[in-house]
Amino acid sequence: MSTVTEVHTTQVYQVFIKASPEQIWEAITKPEFTAQYFYGQAIEVAGGRRTWRNANGEVVTDEPVIEAEPPRRLVHSWSSAYDPEMAAEPESRVTWEIEGQEDGSALLTVVHDGLENSPKTAASVSGPGWMLVLSGLKTLLETGKPLAG
Amino acid sequence: MDDDQVFKALADSTRRHLLDRLFERDGRTLTELESELEMTRFGVMKHLRVLEDAGLVVTRRQGREKLHFLNPVPIRLIHDRWIDKYTEHRVAALADLKTQLEEETA
Repeated sequence: MSTVTEVHTTQVYQVFIKASPEQIWEAITKPEFTAQYFYGQAIEVAGGRRTWRNANGEVVTDEPVIEAEPPRRLVHSWSSAYDPEMAAEPESRVTWEIEGQEDGSALLTVVHDGLENSPKTAASVSGPGWMLVLSGLKTLLETGKPLAG
Repeated sequence: MDDDQVFKALADSTRRHLLDRLFERDGRTLTELESELEMTRFGVMKHLRVLEDAGLVVTRRQGREKLHFLNPVPIRLIHDRWIDKYTEHRVAALADLKTQLEEETA
């Protein structure tokens, strides 16, 4: 059993991507893109909702978007509905920040916080969890092809 | 941030130590990090700057405090680019060897 201090209650991930903020925004809000890097999940951000469907088209979560400022900032709540134990933990929060750079690339920062009382979720999303998503997103935007497969 | 910067940042035991401290617990202030090292505040700042320039440490303001977070993404990208490439080759070579040996004994 890990102690509270070992749980990363705020996790920060940052990556430069050779793409415009608009392209990154599209890739994180349109299901045809997310299905290629977000564990095969079709995630759509539209009309103030963030709807997440699995490969069978079934809705996994449908949550309100807390803040959307295309193409710079997206904030939404997070619950790991794909796992019953994690789903029982309190909701946490994910913030996407996209900053365009002078050289035409963009810096993407993902902050996952509010994990104080969700140790299982915190452990699950840390490390490979978010990194696989972000490196997959980078590869997709830079090469036009998904990272895996 | 390019690979050179990441490799250079990692090629120093104090900086790796700082990353290990952040891995244990993220979101620390300079004062907290400094208290665990036998080094001047200025020295720690210099090392943190190198880590930040390489993208391995990200700072965020929280109220009046500047917190340091470990950003593992550059290490992951190096892993994808440098480690996977060679280990995959080795695994493939072993698989080929196995196929070959099995054919011989068949």
